[in-house]
Amino acid sequence: MGQKVELACIIDDDKIYVNLVKKIIEIKKLSENLLIYKNGKEALDYFKEIMQNTTDEDKLPDIIFLDLNMPVMDGWEFLNEFIKIKNNLNKKITLYVVSSSIDPRDLERAKSFNLVTDYLIKPIELKKFEKIFEKTAA
Amino acid sequence: MLTDLQLNSILEDFDIAYWKINLFSKEISWSQHFDSLVGKPQIDEDRFEFFINHILHPDYRYDFRIHFEKLLKENETFSFEIKLRLENGKYRWFECKNQKSRGNSFRETAVLLFVNIHQTKRDQYTIEENFFYYRETAEMTSTGGWYIDTVNKNIYWDDVSRKIVDCPKDFQPAYEDRMKFYAKEHHNRMLNAFEKCENFGIPFKLELKMLSFQNREFWVRLTGKPVYNDEQVIIGIRGVLQNIDENKNNELNLQNSLDIIATQNSRLFNFAHIVSHHLRSHSSNLSLICELLRESKTDRDKLDLLANVEDVAGNLDNAISRLNDIVSIQTSLKKERVNIRFDEALDVVLASISSLINRENAKIVAEFQDLKEIRYIPEYLESILLNLITNAIRYRQPGRKPVIFIQTYVENDKEYLEVSDNGMGIDLEEYGDKMFGMYKTFHQNNPEAKGIGLFITKNQVEALGGTISVSSTLDIGTTFKIKF
Repeated sequence: MGQKVELACIIDDDKIYVNLVKKIIEIKKLSENLLIYKNGKEALDYFKEIMQNTTDEDKLPDIIFLDLNMPVMDGWEFLNEFIKIKNNLNKKITLYVVSSSIDPRDLERAKSFNLVTDYLIKPIELKKFEKIFEKTAA
Repeated sequence: MLTDLQLNSILEDFDIAYWKINLFSKEISWSQHFDSLVGKPQIDEDRFEFFINHILHPDYRYDFRIHFEKLLKENETFSFEIKLRLENGKYRWFECKNQKSRGNSFRETAVLLFVNIHQTKRDQYTIEENFFYYRETAEMTSTGGWYIDTVNKNIYWDDVSRKIVDCPKDFQPAYEDRMKFYAKEHHNRMLNAFEKCENFGIPFKLELKMLSFQNREFWVRLTGKPVYNDEQVIIGIRGVLQNIDENKNNELNLQNSLDIIATQNSRLFNFAHIVSHHLRSHSSNLSLICELLRESKTDRDKLDLLANVEDVAGNLDNAISRLNDIVSIQTSLKKERVNIRFDEALDVVLASISSLINRENAKIVAEFQDLKEIRYIPEYLESILLNLITNAIRYRQPGRKPVIFIQTYVENDKEYLEVSDNGMGIDLEEYGDKMFGMYKTFHQNNPEAKGIGLFITKNQVEALGGTISVSSTLDIGTTFKIKF
């Protein structure tokens, strides 16, 4: 086993899914730590708070898995807000959009954001998860 | 006096040929001009019979014989029109008339004149023909002509125009009343067009609503062009008026159907998307669980995962029953509309949520004076009221006693229902377009929010041909307005 991702972040309102991903990460030891937010706003609030204090950079995740359909602030809104603050973050953050939507328009729209590394359709296989984490850690 | 030669040459100049008939011998002699007109034929038989058989158009044989008999016997003037075949083999129109002899006692000769009237006849035919086409076209397309004398302030309408406006045939519209025949909402457009045309000579072509003599509204296409006098001063406006009511209504209906289909289509699309998304999210969880089951080593891990399966099953069941709610909107459309009193529908709804109302100490004020009842599907009206009221209570402003004001009214012949609350309100700039989407919730920490109520309400209202809109101010409250 090579390098490991320090901090991963899941933004998703589906509790069962989040639990399952958590399990996968535990079993496969993909990341040291995990941040979980149930909508875009909670995640954004956290990031903004971190930005106040530049020494807290390791509290920023290396990888984000972002759901699209969420209450309060959905994935799209989060992306729009995240673009604004991303340049002020001194850390390379890999962002994956993860959704059960197979609507090609969603796919197109997600790819139109430069900061989106890829669009993943649920369910994601265990092997795929491992690959993604390996790539990010390398 | 003129000599015969001079006379002949004058007659020839006027293209008038003649016969001279000796009343005793019945002998007919043709004038030179007549002879040359018909091509100087060699005649061996009787001249009269030759004329009848070879020169006169067959249609006029009977008439000609009768007139000729009359000419021989009486001294009365007559005139009739015939067609003669000329030298070139073509028929031409002539007016055939006798010349009344001056001496009334005794006649030796009679004169029969043949005046070439072909050009006149042809012009007349062309005019008649054009007039026929004009009339037929005007009738068929319901197009009337009109003229406004802007100098003397007079209006002229032709018969078709009168027919379009449905006024008596002898009706003379007064200049001051000219706006009376246009729908109020189009008075400005009309006046603008007329003024521009009258003052600057700009022609116009408008589609607008007119009012008939009986005040019936209908659509017309109206064109107008300036009329100039010799000094190039505008003295009037001339144009046509076409009844396009049927077309316009078809067009409007078509647009309407198109709008309905478009909204239905987008609703279907939304629905398909929802179905796919929400069923997929559960199925993907299931397959994730299966994979983890395969990987997990201890029994404890496996049991944990099995608990998850139970959760997924429950969620899946919920999702399906919500989808079913939506589908049932479309199927219940076949239900009949009946007259429902708003106060009765409200009573049913309030009874079903009395515990919620009591718990939240909500005050509900209803004002149905202006519109007491409506033709609607009872289940829908109840469901709409239920959703809007529970919505208002759910999003009350913390610390404020929820007050919900419900009223109905009629505006411009349309029926309205408004439900207003003093709740927390919502930022419409941010969420406005998503307000009625499915599974959209906007307030954090509100576990009751399922994000389906407004979606269903909108679907119900639209399924019955209405619209729903919302206005809201943060911390002040929200108003939903339904146009039935």
